[in-house]
Amino acid sequence: MDTEILSVSDLTVGFPTEDGLVTAVRGVTYTLKEREVLAIVGESGSGKSVSAMALMGLLPKTARITGSIQYRGEEVLEMSPKRYREIRGQNIAMIFQDPMTSMNPVYTVGDQLAEAYRSHHRVERKVALGKAVEMLDRVGIPQAKDRARSYPHEFSGGMRQRAMIAMAIINSPDIIIADEPTTALDVTVQAQILETLIEVKDSVDAAVILITHDLGVVAGMAHRVLVMYAGRGVERAEVSDIYTRPRMPYTAGLLGSIPALDSAGGRLHPIGGAPPSLIRLPPGCPFSPRCPLVTERCQTEEPELLATDLPHHEVACHNWQQVAAAADPTLLFRTEAVEA
Amino acid sequence: MSLANSAMEPGLSNDPEREFTIEARTQVQMVRSSFFRHRGAMIGLGALVFVVVIAYTSIGFWGIPGWWGLDFSSTGTLVNEGKPTLDLIPWLDGDGLSIGAHPFGQDNIGRDYFALTMRGTQVSLMVAFVIGILSTFIGTVAGAISGYYGGKSEAVIMRFTDLLLTIPLLIVAAVVGNGFGDSGPFFLAVVISLLIWTSLARLVRGEFLSLREKEFVEAARAMGASSTRIIFRHMLPNAIGTIIVSATLTIAAAILIEAALSYLGYGVRAPDTSLGLLISTYQTAFSTRPWLFWYPGIFIVVIALSVNFIGDGLRDAFDPRQTRVRA
Amino acid sequence: MAAYVIRRLLASLLILLAATFLMYTLVSLSGDPLSEFTQVSDPDQKALLIQGRIDALNLDQPFIVQYFTWLGGAVGCIVPGMACDLGVNLNNQPVTALLADAFPTTLQLVLAATVLSIILGVSIGIISAIRQYSAFDYTITFVAFLFFSLPIFWVAVLLKEFGAIRINNWLSEPSVTIPVAFVMGAFSALFFSAIIGGTRKRRVLVGAVAAAGGVAVFMLLVASGWFTNPGMGPGLVTIGALAGAVGATLLFTNLENRRVLFISLATAVVGVVIAYSATPLLEDPSWLTLFGLGFLATGIGVGIAAIFGDIDRAAAIRASIVTSVLLGLLVFMDKTISSFAAYSEAVNGRPIATIGSKTPNFEGTFWETTLDTMTHLALPTIAIMLISFAGYSRYSRASMLEVMNADYVRTARAKGLTERTVVLRHAFRNAMIPIATLAALDFGAVIGGAIITETVFGWKGMGVLFTSALNKFDTNQIMGVFIVTAVAVLIFNLIADISYAILDPRIRLT
Repeated sequence: MDTEILSVSDLTVGFPTEDGLVTAVRGVTYTLKEREVLAIVGESGSGKSVSAMALMGLLPKTARITGSIQYRGEEVLEMSPKRYREIRGQNIAMIFQDPMTSMNPVYTVGDQLAEAYRSHHRVERKVALGKAVEMLDRVGIPQAKDRARSYPHEFSGGMRQRAMIAMAIINSPDIIIADEPTTALDVTVQAQILETLIEVKDSVDAAVILITHDLGVVAGMAHRVLVMYAGRGVERAEVSDIYTRPRMPYTAGLLGSIPALDSAGGRLHPIGGAPPSLIRLPPGCPFSPRCPLVTERCQTEEPELLATDLPHHEVACHNWQQVAAAADPTLLFRTEAVEA
Repeated sequence: MSLANSAMEPGLSNDPEREFTIEARTQVQMVRSSFFRHRGAMIGLGALVFVVVIAYTSIGFWGIPGWWGLDFSSTGTLVNEGKPTLDLIPWLDGDGLSIGAHPFGQDNIGRDYFALTMRGTQVSLMVAFVIGILSTFIGTVAGAISGYYGGKSEAVIMRFTDLLLTIPLLIVAAVVGNGFGDSGPFFLAVVISLLIWTSLARLVRGEFLSLREKEFVEAARAMGASSTRIIFRHMLPNAIGTIIVSATLTIAAAILIEAALSYLGYGVRAPDTSLGLLISTYQTAFSTRPWLFWYPGIFIVVIALSVNFIGDGLRDAFDPRQTRVRA
Repeated sequence: MAAYVIRRLLASLLILLAATFLMYTLVSLSGDPLSEFTQVSDPDQKALLIQGRIDALNLDQPFIVQYFTWLGGAVGCIVPGMACDLGVNLNNQPVTALLADAFPTTLQLVLAATVLSIILGVSIGIISAIRQYSAFDYTITFVAFLFFSLPIFWVAVLLKEFGAIRINNWLSEPSVTIPVAFVMGAFSALFFSAIIGGTRKRRVLVGAVAAAGGVAVFMLLVASGWFTNPGMGPGLVTIGALAGAVGATLLFTNLENRRVLFISLATAVVGVVIAYSATPLLEDPSWLTLFGLGFLATGIGVGIAAIFGDIDRAAAIRASIVTSVLLGLLVFMDKTISSFAAYSEAVNGRPIATIGSKTPNFEGTFWETTLDTMTHLALPTIAIMLISFAGYSRYSRASMLEVMNADYVRTARAKGLTERTVVLRHAFRNAMIPIATLAALDFGAVIGGAIITETVFGWKGMGVLFTSALNKFDTNQIMGVFIVTAVAVLIFNLIADISYAILDPRIRLT
């Protein structure tokens, strides 16, 4: 929990489409320290995946990226393609959402892991395969040696994702980006995968950027949380603060919408309305149509991510004090008597 | 988590009253607007319509007279050695834009070549469209039945398609055309239709196989919908894209098949004519009377090309993943 | 796998049976084998001819008996050990003999064209996919559509006129006229600006330079009399081989990999040395000599790669094989072209042929005979290729695009692999699967489709056998052509399915 290895400032990503420019990410700022776990939370379309892909340089050529991404002092967005390739897979590794399609069906798992190793180390194929087996073992795949010779379609979903994790750590990266790693998996398997991720992260001393829409996943793993909405960061705090002392109405709404296991019956309390279109965003705060604390200022002036009363806790809301004052902020949404 | 999620419904109004009216487009509207944006398809459509109109109105058909004075079978005296009188480049000859008496020239016995080409076009178009429509119908029915019901009917139909695929189209069509050619081009078209529906049947079967597992079909069945209703109201509309595209491409292929058959002598026969027959009749005249060779060929190419472009435009229109932004 | 193959073969046999029955019925119904004799005036002679034919072909028997008689003989062709008898045609010639003659001719015609179409079409399709929506992509798409819509017989006549007659005229007295220079310049400009790509300004610049350069080189060639007495010579061949070595290295690793680069260059040099020190052997060689020399050169190259390859052994071996093959092709071309002068004289100054598969009664060295075959193949191959390549390029483009958007390609990039590796090792390997299946199916169908090309170019292959039989309602001959074509289709369908299983580990044949 020491040096800062990643610093993202005002990252903006736009995609030109037939209907206009879609700004998927509108000025995101965060930092990442060594061995830290940062969770980026948001709904579909909040821009969380796109910002991660921008980090890796995996966006299509048509994407317009501005802002700054500094990895250990180097400006990533100005890197030569060659340098980018050196970093990708070696210093920064990524795990994707759907393990079924993330691996090439025509090569064995061992080969694909070995390839990841050989693209950054000049070794014989046999040596790389040995490393691959070692990694598969580390992520808890039984009979790793035999499994390395199998094809991806012969693995179960959970095992495939483990193999992907193995592929990510084979070069001992500084940063592992996990983009919704458990969304495509069964609930029972989800917990196992997350556990594996934590163990593995500690064994290679890596930091993790965990992208998810599931607040349950965040609680067990993260140190800090960035909540994103409509392409922007709207709250940034340490994990315990997010759950106990949120300052953003949206965060409160998210927390309130989680069905509690101990409540017998009763209604669900989703946040009414839908996320806005990113092509023609109305002025002001994008959350205002759905916010119970909306005022006229909210509809004209978009709030910046600014400090609150708590340390290391920033929020983008004009009325955060009201949220802070409420005893149980999640009730803000219930008083709205939301009809389905 | 695909990047496409970043774009919400298009057409969202920018209403300062904060009333979000979402104008969702129906599938028909989306397909139509995408199709009209495809330049190649639009040009193709225009060219095809032009050719069809000219071919049928110029010399008339089924007894209805056209606006072009001459017909395709009466001989006459050779004017200017039968050379074309069409003059499209005013400044070259200095005579100005003119069509003349015989814009496409005449053949060696004085028949007006424009009329001949138009007649040829009529026949070729008719054959191609009949093949396209009939084979699409057969293929869709066969594919739907085998895809939906599976089991015995599927096995029988699929084995039958295997059988038909073994038989080379050109060979069988040639045999039929050779023996029964005097029954007219319509008969030929029907016979060819009976042979080339197999690839569409395979495609439709594939679509139906995957649609059959979808939840909305299960739901419909659970609500007690009859099989016919499910097929026609639920599954067929989803497969319509594949079917339409395949139909267009079949028409394009059919033009070339008919031309090839007539060229070999097993297709349309004298006294009627088709574009392929015209080329075959006059191919040796290329060095002396090149116009007899150029015009029918150009018409075949234009028709086939137009239909192919229309098919491509339709394919793009039905594909929801298309993005056309340049880097 | 073996069980699957056997089951498929049995099923195919049944299908073949049904198909032959259908076809036989159709052919018998379509016409009367005796109709040829209606023109004969003398009634006695007519009766004699008619009776003779009835006896020879069992025409007085019921139709079913005729079919089974034919089938009895035909079964012998499938079952090993039994005699293969497909009957006799109307001139009393055994059909099997006719087929044995005609089939290789047809094969020769379509094989080169199809293989070249696949190589060219797939390469262009892949490049189109990688450069989606570029000017190159749009141009190729339009060209592909255009060629796809061309009737082959129409194209053939045009080729005969412009590709043969006019070029032969020009070759007898090569000179640089304005239209010729224009065509040369245009081709050169289009070719190089397509390859280099980039912004519009850059492409226009490249095009202009290429046009000027192309015309200049062309004028030089004409002035030096290269077109009357062409050849490449050891110099050009060596340069070509070295360039090929560089290309091979690029293909399998990258240029910074000095080890593989030097191994490939060494292979090229070794090959050149062997080729030119064996000049006396290559004056009039046999195919055996050629293959022997080829294997020698390749073997040495592979040996060098294996010994010095170290970590990159696999890539080195592949690169050296590709280099040797390229070198072999270059030497082959050099020798063949060099015999042009002698050949042209022998054919009275009309080297590019329009009719037939070879010049009748031609005697010459191995190279001159090869050149003869090639000049006769030139036009039909171009005609077939124009249309066939369009289909392959569209199909590969579509397949490649679908694969390039796949998740595993994104993973490959995320691992830090070079774009070249991502495209070749990951994208192409997967895109190739449906293309291989398509190619196998196409091969099967291509034999039946050669009828038109053979008719237009006067090749005496199966197509001509078919049309002449059809005109006389010669049942046995028609059936002979049919069964060969049908068997080809069935075999290649089986190959297509097997290759799918081999290439895609997710498919296991049951």
